[in-house]
Amino acid sequence: MTGSGGRILVLCIGNPDRGDDGAGPAVAKALAGALPPNAALMVRSGDMLAMIEDWEGFDALVCIDAAAGGSEPGRIHRIDLAEEELPRDMAFLSSHAFGLGEGIALARTLGLAPPVIIVYAIEGQSFDGATQMTAPVAAAVAPAAARIIAEVARLQEAEHHA
Amino acid sequence: MTTKTIKVEYLARVEGEGALDLHIEGGQVTSANLRIFEPPRFYEAFLQGRSHVELPDIVARICGICPVAYQMSSVQAVENAFGVKVEGQLRALRRLLYCGEWIESHALHVVMLHAPDFLGYPDAIRMAEKHGDVVRKGLALKKAGNAILRLLGGREIHPVNVRPGGFYKVPTKAELVPLTEELKAARDMAVDLVRWVATFDFPDLERDYEFVAMRHPDEYAITEGRLISNRDIDIDISDYENEFEERHVAHSTALHSLVKRRGAYLVGPLARYALNHDRLPASIQSLAGEAGLGPVCRNPFRSIVVRALETAYACEEALRLIAGYEMPEAAAVPLEPREGEGFGCTEAPRGICWHRYEFAADGTIRMARIVPPTSQNQPCIEEDLAAVAAPIANEPDDVIRHLCEQSIRNYDPCISCSTHFLKLSVHRS
Repeated sequence: MTGSGGRILVLCIGNPDRGDDGAGPAVAKALAGALPPNAALMVRSGDMLAMIEDWEGFDALVCIDAAAGGSEPGRIHRIDLAEEELPRDMAFLSSHAFGLGEGIALARTLGLAPPVIIVYAIEGQSFDGATQMTAPVAAAVAPAAARIIAEVARLQEAEHHA
Repeated sequence: MTTKTIKVEYLARVEGEGALDLHIEGGQVTSANLRIFEPPRFYEAFLQGRSHVELPDIVARICGICPVAYQMSSVQAVENAFGVKVEGQLRALRRLLYCGEWIESHALHVVMLHAPDFLGYPDAIRMAEKHGDVVRKGLALKKAGNAILRLLGGREIHPVNVRPGGFYKVPTKAELVPLTEELKAARDMAVDLVRWVATFDFPDLERDYEFVAMRHPDEYAITEGRLISNRDIDIDISDYENEFEERHVAHSTALHSLVKRRGAYLVGPLARYALNHDRLPASIQSLAGEAGLGPVCRNPFRSIVVRALETAYACEEALRLIAGYEMPEAAAVPLEPREGEGFGCTEAPRGICWHRYEFAADGTIRMARIVPPTSQNQPCIEEDLAAVAAPIANEPDDVIRHLCEQSIRNYDPCISCSTHFLKLSVHRS
């Protein structure tokens, strides 16, 4: 089991103008004011290279991102990178040169990645520009936020008992 | 006769979606096509009927890496049409914003996308295992460029603070000065980067390019100037369409640009450098000499050195602009819309970005034409591919494929930017 009582970064990734890619920012809105003081909340639009330096100094990173390639829109996947890799059949979309998978790999190589990384992937179905989130993904936002709050509490608790 | 076709179905480490088809018959390269299949984006069509005020924010969306180029060319065209000139500190701030874009765009390409080609790595992640320091410097450089965009533009990607006549808000001197330390460190890193890339092994290729870039009487042209070439072009930007034309080719959703009288031409760092070497400060000229560059460089593979050099220049220039900054009284010059036509042209990181608009009396856009740098470079890229592949046509496919991909990346092509279409005709029966 992985744990961290140090500083936690909750990173919500996505573009609210591209349909279900807006899931990350929507979860961030739901989390505003609901996280403990040692957890920082950050929203980014997807340029990994612009954000991996921000990860340095954190003990744990919790990422929330929409993913394509699944079969059940709105389904929330929890991936603890200490136990498994990001699934290859699931695309974490970015219109920039580096997506989440590449960003994490580069940060790890450079020693910038926090020791604990947990990714919450929300399966999306439409990533068209200038569209709203689809109903199943919008319905997943509140449950995802609740799971993040519990995850952050668990990370703190795990460290406390370590 | 042996015939073979080498295909790269999806080009990696370029922005946008493109592919490469190379046909070889009897050891001779018969065609080299950069196939761009990124869907056309119709910006020019949906700008019609929009206000000139919205223009810079709409065209910024053409590119996430070089939005400032589109903003700067578009506001220049509005100001040109309405008879206004933006000068003094507002002009300096625009140049500073543009320096930020050059830094972030060039650093991304030089370190993360192009350097792996020369060192035999599939990507920057693998390269970082051995060259972590350089990759960290590349990221820090990109961050320094982004810091300028964030402060002057409001945010890093698709800035929102540029308007016709100037800006919505300008920084105080006290807000700008803290960038200095980060930019000094960035300049030192960029100088190191020039020295590092200069040590690469470069394929031996010299091409007789027609270089096209802007030229300014006093500056290394970025935000304004005349359009010149190393042949006989020396024109006002409003004469662009007399000298250049765009043609549709079947294998690309991006129009090909040509000098009407001659054909392919090259825009971007190599062209700027060749035509404006004498406009660089002595420190940068000296650094170029140290890196083995003469005043003109015709080897496309050495564009990585010129790009790194321009990164160092942009850091130096940004520091100069910040040191000389005094907050202007107004954030923008007032504009009175009037009916007419306006032209804009600036030096995007990848080369000239040319715009023409026609406005109604209330400033509504009647017609828009945007010529991005990558579309202009396509014919040149294809000529490079043929030249690169010809001497190695009998080598194994992997060898040819690798060198051709590297040749395309010499141009830092931004394929998403380049796919503009003027018209879409739908025929139904």
